[in-house]
Amino acid sequence: MKRIRLIVPIIVLQLGPGSTLLRAQFSFKNRPVQIHGFAAQGFAKSDNNNYLTMDTSSGTFAFTDGGVNATMQVTNRFRIGAQVYVRDIGSLGEWRPTIDWAVADYKINDWLGIRGGKVKTVFGLYNDSQDLAFLHTWAILPQSLYPLDLRSSTIAHLGGDLYGDRPLPKGLGSVGYTVYSGRRFVDKYGGYRNVAEQAGAHMESITGLMAGADVRWNNPTLGLTLGASWLRMPFKGNGTIGALEVPATFRVNSRSAAFYVDYSNRGLHLTGERSRGSGATSITGLPGVPIIEQNSIGWYASAAYRISSKLEIGTYHSRFISDTSEDWNDPSNHIVDQTITARIDIDRHWSVKAEMHVIDGFGSVYSARGFYLKQNPGGFERKTNLFILRAGYTF
Amino acid sequence: MLRSAIILAGVFGFGMTAAEIKFIANPSVKVAELTTEELKRVFLIKTNSLRDGSHVEPVIGQGSPAYEIFLKQYLGKNDSALTTYYLSLVFTGKALMPKLLASDAEVIAYVTKTKGTVGYVIASANTPGLRSMAIK
Repeated sequence: MKRIRLIVPIIVLQLGPGSTLLRAQFSFKNRPVQIHGFAAQGFAKSDNNNYLTMDTSSGTFAFTDGGVNATMQVTNRFRIGAQVYVRDIGSLGEWRPTIDWAVADYKINDWLGIRGGKVKTVFGLYNDSQDLAFLHTWAILPQSLYPLDLRSSTIAHLGGDLYGDRPLPKGLGSVGYTVYSGRRFVDKYGGYRNVAEQAGAHMESITGLMAGADVRWNNPTLGLTLGASWLRMPFKGNGTIGALEVPATFRVNSRSAAFYVDYSNRGLHLTGERSRGSGATSITGLPGVPIIEQNSIGWYASAAYRISSKLEIGTYHSRFISDTSEDWNDPSNHIVDQTITARIDIDRHWSVKAEMHVIDGFGSVYSARGFYLKQNPGGFERKTNLFILRAGYTF
Repeated sequence: MLRSAIILAGVFGFGMTAAEIKFIANPSVKVAELTTEELKRVFLIKTNSLRDGSHVEPVIGQGSPAYEIFLKQYLGKNDSALTTYYLSLVFTGKALMPKLLASDAEVIAYVTKTKGTVGYVIASANTPGLRSMAIK
């Protein structure tokens, strides 16, 4: 009679006073498997304008997201894992779970590794972690570079990365790189649906590729990181234009570059990033429509200080210019956001953030970034004061 | 009263110096010393191998009296920054969480039984059978 061996994973839930991070961990064929997760619930209230598709002028709790991942170290060099993410933020996400990433990663040596699957895209300091509020001081990252409503355009690619980190001599730190290519994803429940609608178009499908690179110098001794990222995203969309729903094909050739610096020393954390994007859009199906070229620019500078293990405070100044060829002072061409934040870490799992935004401008209908006519049918006020309270749990 | 305060400071690890912690390794680890840069790369999970090509796995004693001196003198990060760093790797699919343990006793037990591991404890800790690694 054939013996049937049952492999029973022993799930160890680590929890206890003074204990380290809670996680579920078990072994499969003597290899470690870890499960981690997070959830965040926010409240947002603005005085003017509804923001990020939420009914913020009334005050709203429709500001929820979370995720869970499982990762297994199959061999010392080979790892697999996946994370599911779900969000309901105004009309974004609509509680539809997505595969946030699903990766097979093989490390040949320190300076050459390969990962493939649905891979988080490295662009700037925080593109690949922008959903993970528990990692950041802020309730929401500077929207000039990390627009919560437009995350799907750059958050991940279906393809592969080459990556590595090479130490430098004489204590100079190391240089890390990532080079990637793949197919972009389109989130039918993201902000681009709203952007298209308020530009008078309806997008039925979008396909395209993305390719880019990131290089960064890290010096842990100095607490300093300097880096640059490049991203190219040509894509094609099919849809209709106008009330008559004229069929049209959109072709967009989009390029972005970002430069960043990050400094940490003791409790002080300073960050600066600047990103420039350019896009050329051609539309077929409508005769006489010229190629639309638009160059945008965004930057922010932030400072945060950890007063104690429980409390961190910070502020950032963020600016976004929709079209650099237009008047930068026009509120329909800029979004300026001055923010102040207090982050309270109750313990290793729970955190709460209270954040105040003073926003000037609302940007262009072609690059939205939080201000949509659908949620503001009467038009936009120039100024928006926004308060956010956001609690999070991590394991 | 001053003598009591000094004793308490010693108990809680205040005023500990780099000389008062030691790095320990499982007997399978043949490399006898690391540079501070190599040590950082191991504990920041930038590498999972030593210069002889052997596999290495860091063990973090978050509950150890030596934790704060380890953070300050060797990594240049505070607890919050190190935790955030590890979480950023875990939640973007770039690494598993390293082994985080609550005391020197747990670190010694885990390093003793697990091949390729390197950890730290207070210098006076009894670590039978384990190699001490020199950090230069």
